[in-house]
Amino acid sequence: MILRSVLVLVLLVGVLFRASQSLRFDLQSGQTKCIAEDIKSNSMTVGKYHVVKPNEDHPLPDSHKLTVRVTSSYGNNFHSAEKVENGQFAFTATEQGDYMACFWAPEHSPPITVTVDFDWRTGVHTKDWTNVAKKGQVDAMELELKNLYDTIQSIHEEMFYLREREEEMQELNKATTSKMFWLSFLSLFLCLSVAGLQFWHLKTFFEKKKLI
Amino acid sequence: MERKWRKISGLIGLLLLNFMNNVSSLSLTITKVECVYEIVRSEGDIVSGNFVVVDHHIFWSSDHPGIDFSITSPGGDILHNLKGTSGDKFSFKAPRSGLYQFCFHNPLSTPETIALYIHIGHIPNEHNLAKNEHVDPINVKIAELREALEAVTTEQKYLKARDAVHRRTNESTKKRVIGYTVGEYILLTIASVLQVVYIRRLFSKSVGYNRI
Repeated sequence: MILRSVLVLVLLVGVLFRASQSLRFDLQSGQTKCIAEDIKSNSMTVGKYHVVKPNEDHPLPDSHKLTVRVTSSYGNNFHSAEKVENGQFAFTATEQGDYMACFWAPEHSPPITVTVDFDWRTGVHTKDWTNVAKKGQVDAMELELKNLYDTIQSIHEEMFYLREREEEMQELNKATTSKMFWLSFLSLFLCLSVAGLQFWHLKTFFEKKKLI
Repeated sequence: MERKWRKISGLIGLLLLNFMNNVSSLSLTITKVECVYEIVRSEGDIVSGNFVVVDHHIFWSSDHPGIDFSITSPGGDILHNLKGTSGDKFSFKAPRSGLYQFCFHNPLSTPETIALYIHIGHIPNEHNLAKNEHVDPINVKIAELREALEAVTTEQKYLKARDAVHRRTNESTKKRVIGYTVGEYILLTIASVLQVVYIRRLFSKSVGYNRI
């Protein structure tokens, strides 16, 4: 993030770009925390992570370096890094599902807390606008409106997805009720047949024994 | 996600318009207490979001206390406190800039998974008081439009998470209905067979001619 502000200062022409602002969480030594995100197939995803330095001047000690692994729900590994202070990953999601980014802080004898800053963006938010540099305010506005248009598209797609899911749920519920209906008839039939079999069997048994 | 607009009007100065939007959507597993931090850049930003407990399944009996959720401002005051929920939306205007804490507390020992989505939206004022510059009203309007779209996106994420929870519940209901019914049939059959066997034994010759 410091590098980006330097970049901002350097670029003097009207530029529209995005810096990262992210969420933070704490990791105890030896603890693993995983963050999962549901990503649609064929959408880009970009992630950046770094350890927030407790002390700005000194270099980060080894005890604060992380091990990171990004895996899909099918077990494929998309990114892994050992003992790093910061890093990033980008890939196009081939399969739809939950992707997990797991962070692990190494063991340390007095347990210390490592603060990790993590920014994970998918879909419409990953578009990197740094390459598109134009002069003037009107062009910047045009880019912003284009971005809004892309957002609207993704909202539209999401609505379709939700509608599909709702339909699937309705089908599921219908199937469940019809199963319950048929199963109740079956249980009635089973009950009566079991009682009938008992009755018939005992009758023949007693007749055989000449008790009836 | 943060977007910086920079424009140089002639040789005179830099006109810096900060349109900052931050989104983070993820799913966490909570064993006891989990906190997520977000940085709010400027006072007056609207922070909105939602969370849904995804693991809310059949083992969550009716006397489960639920998950506690609290939002703490950088000054230490608790802005929002929800006890015993299984998902909710929240929205507030940040009283000051700084690090905001979103904490979940799980009163029981079984880990619960939560899908969380936070969005921090910034709309620049017409007169950017801090920098004593005039912001073009059309950019303000564009920012408002963007914020409205982000509100729709936030709502969609909430609906999607709730749909996933309901889907799980319905699927497990279906499995349970079939499982319990088949188990009931088997038990019924076994009970009736045992009844018949017992009665036969009562009347068998080895027991003697004594009628019971």
